[in-house]
Amino acid sequence: MDEKTQIITFLGIPFNVSNIVSGTLTALIVFCLVFWLSRSIKLKPTGKQNVLEWLIDFTNGIVKSAIPDEVGKSYGLLAFTLFVFIFVANQIGLIIEISFNGYNYVKSPTSSPMTTMTFAFMVLLLAHFMGVKKFGFKGYFVNSYMSPMKALLPINILEQFTNFITLALRLYGNIYAGEVLLTLIYELAKTNTFVFIPASVLELIWQGFSVFIGSIQAFVFTTLTMVYISQKIEKE
Amino acid sequence: MNSTFLLGAASSGFAWGDFLYYLVIFLILLALIKKFAWSPVTEMMEKRATKIANDIDSAEDSRKKAQELAQQREVALKDSHVEASKIIDRAKQNGEQQKTNIVNSAHDEVVTMKANAKKDIQQERQEALDGVKNDVAELSIEIASKIIQKELSSEDQKALVDSYIEGLGKQNGIR
Repeated sequence: MDEKTQIITFLGIPFNVSNIVSGTLTALIVFCLVFWLSRSIKLKPTGKQNVLEWLIDFTNGIVKSAIPDEVGKSYGLLAFTLFVFIFVANQIGLIIEISFNGYNYVKSPTSSPMTTMTFAFMVLLLAHFMGVKKFGFKGYFVNSYMSPMKALLPINILEQFTNFITLALRLYGNIYAGEVLLTLIYELAKTNTFVFIPASVLELIWQGFSVFIGSIQAFVFTTLTMVYISQKIEKE
Repeated sequence: MNSTFLLGAASSGFAWGDFLYYLVIFLILLALIKKFAWSPVTEMMEKRATKIANDIDSAEDSRKKAQELAQQREVALKDSHVEASKIIDRAKQNGEQQKTNIVNSAHDEVVTMKANAKKDIQQERQEALDGVKNDVAELSIEIASKIIQKELSSEDQKALVDSYIEGLGKQNGIR
């Protein structure tokens, strides 16, 4: 919210400390979770292996619905990691929020536009790269910008930017708004004892809703990523 | 509020290092997950898929084989029925034949035995007759010789008959 951002400069590159800390924490949580789930893999799955396989099946399903052919299989890992990372990143701000001296150190990494834009940039770059790799630069250009007809060229070019902005800001907006509202309700609860109890209930409800939103947004982000990749690598 | 908002971030310094940092950390995470979780799990899932496919195939195979076997058994059962009735028929025929053989041979034997017995009886009778004939001849000769040897008085005749009878008894005792 109104917290100041602590910027440190390392090798001349400015870093936002809170983003770094929460991003690292998220990555660590994701890795530990997946690492723990993937111990003692057996042909006949039991317990946590079932959980992991269900997750993998779920993200593979997302990939398959966008890229049905054999090529889709190579995007399974990307979809899985993206989904789990964004899901954990969305939830982590609901579970813990550490502020110190007015600086916020641990929050949802996805409640910062920097993070979501990084991911959106990364996956769209990958999509364009795969398109060029598959059709060559000319084929890629024709396939992406001149179809179904040449007249759509300016709109298609514009679309690449709107894709990027919407992909990034949809996720950022949802999570950021969720956290803003959580903080607002918290401020409301602090004002006096009469509103404390209803505000607490409201906070509880909103937190549950945020969990839901976080899951949906992770799913949407992963789905759209795969759709954008499929648009670039498949002939229309 | 606008300190973190998009372009507002520029006012407090645009932390573009975050961009690099997230890029790097995501790629590292990708690599680690691939090494420790993704590869083994997907490999195992693949293995399971092929195993299940194989199992289904082999189940289909064994089902077919079982069906074939059942069919074969049915055919064999039918065959065995036919064969059994054949065997019974043959046995019946054999029995019939043996029966007639035995009866015939018994009949033959009886006939020969009868013939033999008849022959024996005939022979015996012949022999007896012959013996009697000889006796009578001897007797006649003896009587005749005795008559010729001497004149006979009544006492003598009586003695002669007596002696003859005695001799007859002796002869009979010898025989």
